[in-house]
Amino acid sequence: FPGVRQAQWLTKTKLVEGLPPAVQGIMDNPAHGLQELEERAKHAVSHARLWDTPEVAPRREQYCPVLFENLIHICRLMSGKYPSLSKRMLARNCRIAATWERESILLQVRGLSGILMNSMTPIPPVASKEEVLATREHVLETFYPIAPTIDLQEVNVYKELNDTGQCFGDGYPYSHPHTLFFLESANVRTNRFRPEQLRAKMLMFAFGNALAKAKALHGNDPKVLEQPVVVQSVGTDGQLFQFMVFQLNTTDLVSNDGVKNLVWIDSDRNLYEKAQCVPEVKKRVVTKPAGISGFQPDTFKKFLALYLHGTV
Amino acid sequence: MAALGARRLLRTGRRWFSETVPGAPSPPASPLYPPVVASATAKSKAAKSQRLQRFNQRVHAAATVEEKLRLYGKLQRPKYTVYPQTFALNADRWYRSFTKTVLVPGMPPRAAAAKPPVAVAGTTPEAGRAPEPGAEAPRAPQAPGAAEAAKTSEPAAGAAPYLDMGELRSLACDALLQESFYQNKKRPFLYRDQDHTPGPFLTQLVSTLAAFLSGRNPLLAASSLDLNPEVNYYWHHGEEVVVHGHRKGRVDPVRFQINDNPHLQIRVPKQLPEVVPLESDLGDVPVIDHKPSKLPLFKKQYENKVFIGSKVADPCCYGHTQFHLLPDKLKRERFIRQRLEDQIEVVYRSNGIASLFAWTAAQAMYQGFWSEADVTRPFVSQAVVTDGKYFAFFCYQLNTLALTTETIKNNPRKNICWGTDSKPLYDVVEDGNVKGFNDEVLLQLVRFLLNRPKEL
Repeated sequence: FPGVRQAQWLTKTKLVEGLPPAVQGIMDNPAHGLQELEERAKHAVSHARLWDTPEVAPRREQYCPVLFENLIHICRLMSGKYPSLSKRMLARNCRIAATWERESILLQVRGLSGILMNSMTPIPPVASKEEVLATREHVLETFYPIAPTIDLQEVNVYKELNDTGQCFGDGYPYSHPHTLFFLESANVRTNRFRPEQLRAKMLMFAFGNALAKAKALHGNDPKVLEQPVVVQSVGTDGQLFQFMVFQLNTTDLVSNDGVKNLVWIDSDRNLYEKAQCVPEVKKRVVTKPAGISGFQPDTFKKFLALYLHGTV
Repeated sequence: MAALGARRLLRTGRRWFSETVPGAPSPPASPLYPPVVASATAKSKAAKSQRLQRFNQRVHAAATVEEKLRLYGKLQRPKYTVYPQTFALNADRWYRSFTKTVLVPGMPPRAAAAKPPVAVAGTTPEAGRAPEPGAEAPRAPQAPGAAEAAKTSEPAAGAAPYLDMGELRSLACDALLQESFYQNKKRPFLYRDQDHTPGPFLTQLVSTLAAFLSGRNPLLAASSLDLNPEVNYYWHHGEEVVVHGHRKGRVDPVRFQINDNPHLQIRVPKQLPEVVPLESDLGDVPVIDHKPSKLPLFKKQYENKVFIGSKVADPCCYGHTQFHLLPDKLKRERFIRQRLEDQIEVVYRSNGIASLFAWTAAQAMYQGFWSEADVTRPFVSQAVVTDGKYFAFFCYQLNTLALTTETIKNNPRKNICWGTDSKPLYDVVEDGNVKGFNDEVLLQLVRFLLNRPKEL
């Protein structure tokens, strides 16, 4: 059962395929010098997949976080060009908790949400006001006769918590959640999320973060937000990347109509085709040389564009 | 005398005469028979040296660096495992004797022009200051959480861009507060205090500082940051007689292996410049008459690894800076409780010397040098050893790899390590405030990160 559609109903969201035009604009802007970074991105992938360990081939539990760290390092080094990029802070292992009501069903999101990047300034809203109002006409698809809360764990909740793992009220300088990163790095394939489930998880956690931030900013009453809260999300298993930009337009989630939230999803982008650790030799002839094959610079450009979004 | 002269003339004349006989066949250039050398399989000292020479030639003639490393560490025998982070008493003296290192206290002298002029950031109260003439107006304190955050900056004389200490200090304070105060974490696991707060703080601090300074140091902009990499090095030093077993009585080199896991490592594609010339002599190497097992060091036999953090194919094959985090077992309070206060500095020093020797020597091996083919240029790397609050800085210059008994005989070169004592970065963190922030330590860290070759 596709997870994103269920997540859409639960969070009252409308889906738009592809990344928003603001992010596309950053990608296409040649002034950012994304071409030269291709070489560095290729080195980053080679380092993570091939060179990182004295053994022949690193396992996914090792290469997935290393790849992420290398890509983030390249992105962070751009702050030599854009000094306002240094106003970011990475928080690992942060715990997220958000509760909301949806047609008289109380839902909540809890858990360790991967790696969160906070920034001092919020991301400006990606969709214009007209697009936000146009979502009123959009009808959320229901799954009659399947209840929308299928496969969700029913839990007795004693405290309706809304917090994002940081004490936002105490003058914390980096108070706006910017991007969430999810690394599926389990070695065994069954322990990893499938791409569809990963996208659903990204959506739920981005929504949770945005909702907690909105409630912290505007209070607990359900209403349509004047300043929509935008949270981005990137999920990967070391090779496939899923990009997502989520805009929270309303905290009024009880009813099924009215303004909806928006999410742009760009799914299943390969960063490279294959990483060959030892050259494949058939009958004394090297058929596949060692190295990374099929490198797609566009995926890295999207990663970097999502990172730069908001400060550029 | 005349007869002598005549005889000499005659002799030379005869030789000259015979030299210019035309058409005489010149003797063949190569000898007819191969050279007579000692046998390689006999049970004799000459045979043993012949086998060693053949091995050396094989390693010299290896086509690639990977092949060279494979041959170098092919034979596995019991070897001493040297741990850089150790509680052994006076370990830094022992490590210096194993690696032929001279310890020079303090930091290496750098040219005054190379040091970036630092803006004077006064610890003024947050109630504003009149802007200096011609300077930027002081920005408002960035976060109410970070104390002493009033920033002022003066344009330095000359065209060199100034370094904003206030900005750096706020970055460091933010990283510290983020990890220790702002983020809700569970209680630290038993005896794993270092993973809870100082570890993430160090990662955050170094990554943000490196990104911030990358605009100023183009070497950092091309660098590669590793988290928890592996650094290994294997070498021979000295000789001993095998004590028991089927090889009893034979004279063997003493083998050492370092397997290190620094917390963070920055690798760069270009080498750092040398600090002093290759042949300089800045002190003495301690000589210890006891066996290494008295330190205590224990022997184990396993794979002989030489690794800098990534394989030979990586373009970033030179080291820049390493960051080490001391584990809970070696924290200061334990030493004070056991009344071994003088050993606290020994811990930092031994960690710096051993880790940096392993890293620089492995870098040299990646370039093709080894104990029979000594380095032709010095390899320089830096390290910061910390336990979260106290920071000690080390700079190491590798001048020689030749530490085996045959090669050390005529080798006047010594490796040099400059090191400071550990100083605290801050006093205490309470209520979202960092009290007693020490700018000196931060400045030294920034200088380390800004180190680069002259031409860049």
